[in-house]
Amino acid sequence: MNVNHLLHNYPEAVAVILFGIGFSNLLLQKNLIKKIVGLNIMDTATYLFLALKGYIDGRKAPVAADGIQNVEAYINPIPSGLVLTGIVVSVSVTALMLSLTIRLYRRYHTLDLDKISVLLRKEGK
Amino acid sequence: MAFVQNFPFMSIILSLFSGPLCSVLDGKWAKKVNTAVIVIIGLMSSCVLGYVAGLGEPFIYRMGHFPAPWGNEIRVGVLEAFMAVFFCVIMLLSMAGGVRERLLQIEESKQNLYYIMVNLLLCSLLALIYTNDLFTAYVFVEINTISACGLIMIRQNGRTIEAAARYMIMSLLGSGLLLLGICFLYSVTGHLLMSNIRQQVEMLAVSGEYRIPLMVSLVLMSVGLAIKSALYPFHTWLPDAYGYSTVSSAAILSSLVSKGYIFLLIKIFYRVIGFEIICSSKVIHILFVFGVMGMIMGSVSAIKEESIRRMIAYSSVAQIGYIYMGFGLGTEIGVVASIYHVLSHAATKSLLFIAASGLTDASGDSVRYEELHGAGFRHRLAGAAFTVGALSMVGLPMFSGFISKLLFAQAAMGHEYKMLITLIALAVSTILNAVYFMKTVIRIYTPASQDGESKGNRIIHMREQPGKSAALICFVILNLILGLNSEPVIHMIEAGLEMFR
Amino acid sequence: MDLWILVPIILPAIAGILLLVSSFTGHIRGKTAGSVRGLHVYTAAVLVLSAAAALYAAWTGEREAVLFTLLDKIPIYFRIDGIGCLFVTLVSIIWLAVGLYSFVYMEREGEEKRFFGLYLLLYGVLVGLDFAGNLITMYLCYELMTLVSMPMVLHNGSRESIMAALKYLFYSMCGAYGGLFGIVFLYRYCDTLNFTAGGTLNIAAAQEHRGILLAAVFVMLLGFGAKAGMFPLHSWLPAAHPAAPSPASAVLSGIIVKSGVLAVIRTVYYIVGPDFLRGTWVQYGWMTLALITVFMGSLLAYREPVLKKRLAYSTVSQISYILFGLSLLTPDAMTGALLHTAAHAFIKCGLFLTAGIFLYQFGYTRVAQLDGMGKRMPRTMWCYTIFAMALIGIPLTGGFISKWYLAQGALRSGIEVYSWLGPVVLLVSALLTAGYLLPVTMKGFFPGEEAASMDLTKREPSLQMGIPLVLLAALVLLMGILPNPLIRFLYEMVSPVFY
Repeated sequence: MNVNHLLHNYPEAVAVILFGIGFSNLLLQKNLIKKIVGLNIMDTATYLFLALKGYIDGRKAPVAADGIQNVEAYINPIPSGLVLTGIVVSVSVTALMLSLTIRLYRRYHTLDLDKISVLLRKEGK
Repeated sequence: MAFVQNFPFMSIILSLFSGPLCSVLDGKWAKKVNTAVIVIIGLMSSCVLGYVAGLGEPFIYRMGHFPAPWGNEIRVGVLEAFMAVFFCVIMLLSMAGGVRERLLQIEESKQNLYYIMVNLLLCSLLALIYTNDLFTAYVFVEINTISACGLIMIRQNGRTIEAAARYMIMSLLGSGLLLLGICFLYSVTGHLLMSNIRQQVEMLAVSGEYRIPLMVSLVLMSVGLAIKSALYPFHTWLPDAYGYSTVSSAAILSSLVSKGYIFLLIKIFYRVIGFEIICSSKVIHILFVFGVMGMIMGSVSAIKEESIRRMIAYSSVAQIGYIYMGFGLGTEIGVVASIYHVLSHAATKSLLFIAASGLTDASGDSVRYEELHGAGFRHRLAGAAFTVGALSMVGLPMFSGFISKLLFAQAAMGHEYKMLITLIALAVSTILNAVYFMKTVIRIYTPASQDGESKGNRIIHMREQPGKSAALICFVILNLILGLNSEPVIHMIEAGLEMFR
Repeated sequence: MDLWILVPIILPAIAGILLLVSSFTGHIRGKTAGSVRGLHVYTAAVLVLSAAAALYAAWTGEREAVLFTLLDKIPIYFRIDGIGCLFVTLVSIIWLAVGLYSFVYMEREGEEKRFFGLYLLLYGVLVGLDFAGNLITMYLCYELMTLVSMPMVLHNGSRESIMAALKYLFYSMCGAYGGLFGIVFLYRYCDTLNFTAGGTLNIAAAQEHRGILLAAVFVMLLGFGAKAGMFPLHSWLPAAHPAAPSPASAVLSGIIVKSGVLAVIRTVYYIVGPDFLRGTWVQYGWMTLALITVFMGSLLAYREPVLKKRLAYSTVSQISYILFGLSLLTPDAMTGALLHTAAHAFIKCGLFLTAGIFLYQFGYTRVAQLDGMGKRMPRTMWCYTIFAMALIGIPLTGGFISKWYLAQGALRSGIEVYSWLGPVVLLVSALLTAGYLLPVTMKGFFPGEEAASMDLTKREPSLQMGIPLVLLAALVLLMGILPNPLIRFLYEMVSPVFY
């Protein structure tokens, strides 16, 4: 393993670093909104990785245009399909997280999950 | 193609579509539809089980009739079909056991939402069990997470919303890792169908290429699923989620949701990577260490708990530890023991949750230990059922827990280095289990002192709560069946694992 | 597959479960009382039938049966051998005697259906334990026995009795897990888990892992020793006995505690083999613990004012006589231990029944209240005296023969220090036994000056309570006067273990 490999695969490296950033944000941030931002960075990084895997230099998106039927003309369509599915999943999960955040904010007037825990303990339920 | 081969797909689609159907019905009808769907799916799965067992080999169902490398597939062996039947049974009983709590704790207008969630959950569990495609598995993992989150937060109070938020965060971390792992695997092998990946991985193992990416993706997937199934250091979300949600949710979450992920992990081990490669990798040592730690630390936390629900929840952490320890042994018998423990834990933990809710009913709805004095006398059936569950957890012969402990010990004996650690961990965790479960049993059978008599105490007869009584009796019988007649089940697990190859 | 072996296990178990179910449904309908006479006839009929079946099965040739297989290569397997015969005979005699006694006694305690249901069920489980043909079957019955006998301890439902029952459960479970831990090890190093005289240990495999195997056996001894009240795990006994109704304590002390002894015999002599343990630290550790228990139990009994607790401590001490005999690993000592098992079963059962009579007739529990008892019920007191003398080891009673063999076994064993320390401790403990049992007799027959102020009207117990007592006393005397057939039988049983 040498630096050349890393430079050669720099898009993948960027994707993994982005994933790390998102992951640690989701794990370590206290603010719920920032956590959700982290979640989105993480998901996007994965889609970047997937899209890279499907990309072939000099080819077009897999949409049949100008009547060209030849497979050689297009990039691999499966990762793109996966990315689309992933985006749908990610959107629904983000929506759910946001709705949870709204509920918590309405009840406790803070976005800090640890503070909410403290408040809950005071409530003593 | 036999007509039965359509059943797995039909059961997935049936539960998926009954979800939206429930949204337009009112609570009562939604409940009936839900019960009917679970029963129908259970029957269909039993047919599939009978068919596969007769066939002697797994069958593959192509979605949309696209051939192998491109299309999406469902693959059914004995183990898959058996798990589907078992999950349906547990789900039906858990739902029956918590009818009254759901009526009390969920707002009138949201009753039907609960059944949407349950139907979606069943759908995602079935899909996780049957699918032969890794990316489909990921999608259904997310659906599973979302519906589980709904089950937690349907009982609206601060605790459950916070628990749901924490659960979501941990689950999303886990599924992020899982997705990245799948992407790595895809980029290395170029396939998403499990059987095809397996062929590629075998070729790679022979040629020695891409060793590191393969290991990285294996680690990512294992850790991701471990987080989602609450293996020890990642269990922080679990006690709140199980402790404050309504009782059916707690029973379903503890016995089904986490087990679905574990089953997926087993499939990844056997069907995707190949068990020999797993055994020679270091991943299993990590799982083993975390599993053993979970067995001990989960029980220690449970001892410190003051609330009976949270105590049972922490005990789940310990039991999940057992399961991962079984994987960590890296032998076929270890995995058999783990799968058996999945079954036994599912049967016992839901029994405990439902029995505990019966006991708290009889004690003015308080989950605190002090109020539970003499609850075993006030609700006799729940008291007896709780005792059975506790004894099974402790591992008394006749009950399912004993068999799984025996299997774990047997599996450990074949191992040079891990033998002693496993046996000691088993012994210590058994003693710890005995400490907190026996403490609770003592508590519920000690009459309260006169002045401490709480207002909420009342005597509950079996007839008052027919659903709960029936569920408790069925769970006790299930436990006894697993404990006394374990051999056919074990043979089935072994046959199922053989079909995985 | 021999069905005779299963009849005495299954018949009482089913009959017992039926009774328990009917008691439970009776509770739900709100009527607890049924026809007492019908219950007695039912119980007696089942007991007599199953005892007859058990004895017939035990004494007429070799039998074996596989009930079903629990796990791969681990069947639930029953087989009858000499040890099983001995224990089954003891259990059957005591069960019949105590059954007769409790028909009267339990009328006052109430909840008879539940009691007799458990009583029958427990008999089935115990026969299963004695007939068990491999370690796993034995373990299964052992745990079942704990589970079934526990509700008998908490019979009256008071706070103390519940605590005592749970203490009993907890100790037994911890002990049983020690046993299970060892079983798992033995499963690997033994050729088979079926009981075979002299052991089934695979010597080649065992020598390689000698240290760990010895540790496992020691843990098993401690674990099964918990049931037998051996030193570190003995404290459940004095808690459980006074809390239980007297017939329950009688069978607890007479039989259940002996099951721990049976488990130890099975493990040491029929699975591991005495040769493997001879001269190791396990043997020395075991002997030391047993001797400590013998001495400590007697001392605690000597200082105890409550009669049933005193008897419980005495059980702790006497069972360790047996364990000490077993720990010597010689034929003489083992014969002595088995003799003492039989003698102690009759004696201690009788003593607890006597204590129960004191409680039933007068409500007395403390030793100090028993002055002048000899004048009020001489027949009972004479029986008590016979039991006491036998427990001390005075000639012409069963206890003398067994202690003689134990001491002889120790002296002939040739183990340094213990060959003389053992008999000395046994002797001191016998003196202490005299010290804690005989004062009751003396004060009972010769109450002294206060006698004038006492109510000395005769109040013998009813025949149903008296007959079992006299029967047991007669058996104890018979053992002392004509011991030879029994000794010959035991020698025949013991010799294949050693050669």
